[in-house]
Amino acid sequence: MSTRSSRSLRGLAVVGVLVPALALSACSSSDDAASGGETAAAPTDGVLTVGLLGDIGQPPDPDIYYANNGLAIVLNAYEGLVQYKNDSDAVEIAPRLATSWESSPDNTTFTFHLQDGVTFHDGTPFTSAAVKVAFDRRIAVEGGASYMVAGVTGVDTPDDLTAVVHLDKPNSAFLDYLASPFGPKMESPTGLATNAGDDNAQTYLSTHDLGTGPYELTKAETGVGYTLTQYKDYWGSSSPFTSVELPVYTDESALELAFDSGDVDAIVAALPSSSLDKYSKAAVKNYFLPTLQSALVTVNSSLPFFKDTEARIAFLKSLDQKSLVEQVLGARSSVATTMYAGGMIPGDADKQAISYDPKPLADYAATLPDDAKSLVIGYANGNANAEQMANIVVANLQTDGLKATAQGYETSTVFGWINDPTQGPDAFIDGNNGPDGGNPYMWGHVFWDASGGINYFGCQSEEVNALLDRAVVDGDTDLYTQAGDLYGKTGCYLNLSYNKDWVVAQSWLTGVAESHNIGANELNFAMLGIDGQ
Amino acid sequence: MRTFAFKRAGAAVLLLIVLSFVLVVLQQISPADPARAYLGANASPSAVAAKREQLGLDDPLPVRYVHFLGHAVTGDLGRSLRTRNDVTHDLGTYLPATIELVLAAFLIALFLATLFAVSGALQWRGTGAVRGGLLVLGAAPPFVLAIVGIVLFYGRLGWLPGNGQGASDSPGPTGMLVVDALLHGNGPLFAEALRHLILPATVLAIIPAVAIGRILRTSLESTLRADHIRTARSKGLDEGHVLRHHVFRNAAGPAVSMAGLQLGFMFAGVVVVEQVFSWPGIGNYLAASIPVADFPAIAGVTLVLGTIYVLSNTAVDLLQAAADPRITA
Repeated sequence: MSTRSSRSLRGLAVVGVLVPALALSACSSSDDAASGGETAAAPTDGVLTVGLLGDIGQPPDPDIYYANNGLAIVLNAYEGLVQYKNDSDAVEIAPRLATSWESSPDNTTFTFHLQDGVTFHDGTPFTSAAVKVAFDRRIAVEGGASYMVAGVTGVDTPDDLTAVVHLDKPNSAFLDYLASPFGPKMESPTGLATNAGDDNAQTYLSTHDLGTGPYELTKAETGVGYTLTQYKDYWGSSSPFTSVELPVYTDESALELAFDSGDVDAIVAALPSSSLDKYSKAAVKNYFLPTLQSALVTVNSSLPFFKDTEARIAFLKSLDQKSLVEQVLGARSSVATTMYAGGMIPGDADKQAISYDPKPLADYAATLPDDAKSLVIGYANGNANAEQMANIVVANLQTDGLKATAQGYETSTVFGWINDPTQGPDAFIDGNNGPDGGNPYMWGHVFWDASGGINYFGCQSEEVNALLDRAVVDGDTDLYTQAGDLYGKTGCYLNLSYNKDWVVAQSWLTGVAESHNIGANELNFAMLGIDGQ
Repeated sequence: MRTFAFKRAGAAVLLLIVLSFVLVVLQQISPADPARAYLGANASPSAVAAKREQLGLDDPLPVRYVHFLGHAVTGDLGRSLRTRNDVTHDLGTYLPATIELVLAAFLIALFLATLFAVSGALQWRGTGAVRGGLLVLGAAPPFVLAIVGIVLFYGRLGWLPGNGQGASDSPGPTGMLVVDALLHGNGPLFAEALRHLILPATVLAIIPAVAIGRILRTSLESTLRADHIRTARSKGLDEGHVLRHHVFRNAAGPAVSMAGLQLGFMFAGVVVVEQVFSWPGIGNYLAASIPVADFPAIAGVTLVLGTIYVLSNTAVDLLQAAADPRITA
């Protein structure tokens, strides 16, 4: 018996040593691979592989899709009339299917001159007639971004290459709606009619496309992966990649390993900042590309802790913004100093008035009775950066004697708080969020107006909303600045950082910065290349 | 026996009705907003409100439950708010991959459990490390095993793939790649599918293997000490004959019960493994549906998993009753 026991113990001891050793060896090998000098070879079969972290979440139908990483498909299979200028940190409208455009002085009529020689993927020539069809479909399918064309009263087509769009009221943001990655894209009228079914071709466009872009969607398997195949008759320039594979990885570590092994060629805005250090030492290329996204803090004025404006302001002042951003977000972000996204208001006239001072909150905390010292700082589950920031904020609040806790919430729950803000936490840290486009109205409306979509706790000011509504008529920068100043005084909001898209790519991949624009958050695969080719 | 079977089937149906009611209640009281998942993150509250009404999300609980149950009994589980497909279509797409993974894991678990139990009970030399290894691995959470497995066998050694199922299109008819490749005599596809299957199936198998193995080992050890075994040996019967005909047969009962339970647990526990390995099964489908409150998809998967669990338990009960008629008394 004793012999058997000692044998078992020896066996267990051997395993007890071997298993952790294997695990440690595995982990260290992962770091070695990333930090080593080995570089993956460029593909010779014309296939580019861009790993997706998580599925795209909605069908890649341009009138439905209103999420994030699926834009890699939408923006390469479809094109709009205009887009934001590539490789620029300025918000500047650039041509796409429209070569030029004019707007009436009152911003109610927009005339677009269209690119000649463009065909849809089903062979149908692109003409001005497609513009109204695309706008009408967007309204008919009632997607989240249908508001962008809700004000269109008609589209005149004086000739095949001219489209004149009429709006029901002045809107200086209309071109930004069209340039938005979620903006209306041109879809083959023939294809839409042929595949209409009983749902305006929604079923068809969940696995196919009807766009004019450089790539066609040739395979769509939800949760597994997507394949784009180069469109041979594309009117613009083409890349050496005849096919783009977009495999779905549901685990971050697995995606990183696939990249480290050379099975994935690029990862676009998917990895957390905690991986920055690893890849900054690796034989790969890191790109930090401008976006309209920010990390934000929103404060819940419907709960007792932050009922008073003074308490909210004191809390926002207590946040060591510079330290939070540098410590957590690192090179992919810079400290935000303005109410709107960086560069939206010329000359940064929209300065934030909040500056770091922990004393007011410490003083406020000291006045609170013990049973009123509890508060919850929320973050979205799965957002590692926001979680880390929330934990740091909580630790600092606890030093003031507050009973602070950090809590994660599912995205769908976060967006449900607007119906009853008392169900939410006392404050929420958003790791990365932004408007649909680069117009200040699009920022102010979504973040500050309770009807905008991302004002989680419905903290709003009628005066601010009125200023935004007046400003959008003719794009009056002063009015936007006033709206920002006024909203800042509510203490409900702090723009923490200007975030960048962090793209990590194998060293042979070229054209990454040139293929990216400030609004897109994805790459135009047709503009990518291979070093030396 | 027939009465016993009917009673068990009735209890199973009742359990599923209760489960479906709990699901609808949970959705009713959840602060999550499925209409937001349908429209997208930046949709305005007015658009979301309109969609809520259109989807019937504001209807009273009894109305929603009757609507849900009425459709569910006809096989209509609604339309996924995320994929926009019928949930039954999605389940038909993803379930075969999960079944393939769980069945492969189950076979591995049975093999490892038998090795664990027999080597321990018969005190085979040199197998202590195997048993110890299984115990240590069985103590680790599946997601840790999965990540270490990927890092080691994919990242470092490059022996096995770490993501997905391999070829994305099954040639049919089962939807299970390994099985279909065999049926079509497609050697390269079979090899590729098998390579992708080994790692996730092994990770999923470890904990059930230990659970079944421990029961089987205890059962084997007590059977080996039984009087009839001593009698059989004293009669001069061949040791192999004694083990096959007198030990294993008598010791298998409790292990079969545990195996049945573990099969049910494996279906429930497949979510984590599928997520780490990006395995295109219903676990992954469920994991993607939860953050966006895609209730029809969540309810569909839950009902399928619940049905499998209830059926496997019922099967165990019936098997035990068949083996020991006193249970039905």
